[in-house]
Amino acid sequence: MWNLLRLHNYEIHIAQGLHLQMMDEERNDSDDKSLSSDSCRLWSQWQLLDSVLPTGGFAHSCGLESAMQACLVFGPEDLRKYVVHVLENTGSLLLPFVHAANMSPDLQTWQKIDRLLDATLTNEVSRKASIAQGSALMRVAAAVFSEIPSIKMMRDTSLGSSMVSLHHAPIFGLICGLLGFDGETSQRAYMFITMRDVISAATRLNLVGPLGAAVLQHHVGPIAEDLSKKWMNRDVEEACQTCPLLDTVQGCHGYLFSRLFCS
Amino acid sequence: METGKVVVEKIGGKSTVIRCFSKYPLKIIIPNKVGSSQTDAVWIYTITYGGGIVSGDSISCYISVGESCTAVLTTQSSTKVYKSVGSKCSEQILEATVGRDALLVIIPDPVTCFSTAKYSQMQIFKVFHESSLLIVDWITSGRHERGEKWDFSLYKSTNRIFLEGNEPLFLDTILLEEGSQGSISERLQDYQVIAMIVLWGPKLKLIQNQIQEDVKKMMSEQFRIPSINSGHFAKAHSDHCLSKPNFIASCSVFGPKGIGVVVRIASMTTESVYKFLQHQLASMEPVLGVSPYF
Repeated sequence: MWNLLRLHNYEIHIAQGLHLQMMDEERNDSDDKSLSSDSCRLWSQWQLLDSVLPTGGFAHSCGLESAMQACLVFGPEDLRKYVVHVLENTGSLLLPFVHAANMSPDLQTWQKIDRLLDATLTNEVSRKASIAQGSALMRVAAAVFSEIPSIKMMRDTSLGSSMVSLHHAPIFGLICGLLGFDGETSQRAYMFITMRDVISAATRLNLVGPLGAAVLQHHVGPIAEDLSKKWMNRDVEEACQTCPLLDTVQGCHGYLFSRLFCS
Repeated sequence: METGKVVVEKIGGKSTVIRCFSKYPLKIIIPNKVGSSQTDAVWIYTITYGGGIVSGDSISCYISVGESCTAVLTTQSSTKVYKSVGSKCSEQILEATVGRDALLVIIPDPVTCFSTAKYSQMQIFKVFHESSLLIVDWITSGRHERGEKWDFSLYKSTNRIFLEGNEPLFLDTILLEEGSQGSISERLQDYQVIAMIVLWGPKLKLIQNQIQEDVKKMMSEQFRIPSINSGHFAKAHSDHCLSKPNFIASCSVFGPKGIGVVVRIASMTTESVYKFLQHQLASMEPVLGVSPYF
């Protein structure tokens, strides 16, 4: 009798074990599937942040060329401070627009935010740069990330429309959202590409060599992180500029006698 | 609750103040004898008791400039913002509507924030295509002689212009605040004055054109420096007998078809900004009766 009970319990135990094993396999399967789609997304996300993506970011120096010619930036220490000021200004002025578009990646919200940014970028040089980079990013994203038809749809609706200027920050936030970046990462990513572009411009302006640039970028990383955290998740109503000297000097870009960059 | 209100309308062919109200800490004075009797312009002086804004003061003012009227809003002297007590922020809010064919000219002396002061101002303008608006908004670094250079805690200035009701035309906020990444003075280097001039509307077209031309000419001379090709900092530094310009200005257009103009200035001295403003706005004398910043 007791042996039968033991056998019975053993059978139940086996059955439970098999059941758990089946549940485990199912979980692993769906884990595998989501891991695999997460991993696929990673490749797209890396591609978006890679400077090799042909969005024309290399044509803009974020006012650095103008600052150099005004003798405001001479050597490595000046450059480091300049990069930090650009990041602070990007955080205070542009992150709210990245955030807003990222939170609501629909046509109407995007167009409204784009119009607000157009009125906010009162500096003609940075306004034109934003439109040039935004249009390029939209065009490239529509072609490259073709599995997300809404990008192409929004682009097609906006082309030729006087209501939309195709500014960079909202489009960047929008695409990040559609590619699966969460809000904080999208804003961090925007700060990253800004830092990447201004440091890259510095190497082409011979302010720093390629290795020095890489070292600088790594040192500024933690500061960029602090600034991202400070300025992220704010409303567009709060957008402000924190470096008026930078804005004034960047506005002089059109007066430069000889220039490498568009802005 | 408003601390001030002025309404200007055309009465008998002349710009006339039909309503004027002010209460502590704001005082509004409207002298009769600015300029000749031929000029049709109302001059409005905003005064603060004690010559400055005290910690925690809140001033809000509403101005309406009726169709075809001309009004000037100005100060007697620079607006001093005294030190903040108990971390309180002082604020000034101005709301103005400018009618068709009307002209509103805002030409104050600069704001000067004393050490530890906290100050915020907001100016909101509602205009039409046919309105004209001139805004000068500027700040100095403080009491330089006392060594106070950008020594305040917070300065925030917001200027917003809306066209025909709700369309955002110009949205700008400057925020200068002590932060974790360097002081305000580091961000502004050796510049002691930051100024902005906004010009919108048909009555300012000639000044817009002249300012853009003058700034371009002035700045092109400053930037005629070849870019550094050597990458050797020591060499570049000694080669550069040229140093930072004392006065930097840039112009941008804004608005539909770029009909608005904004000028941004960074200067090492207050006098040079006064001179620039005097020179550029001198042509307004016939319209206003007196040349601004004379």
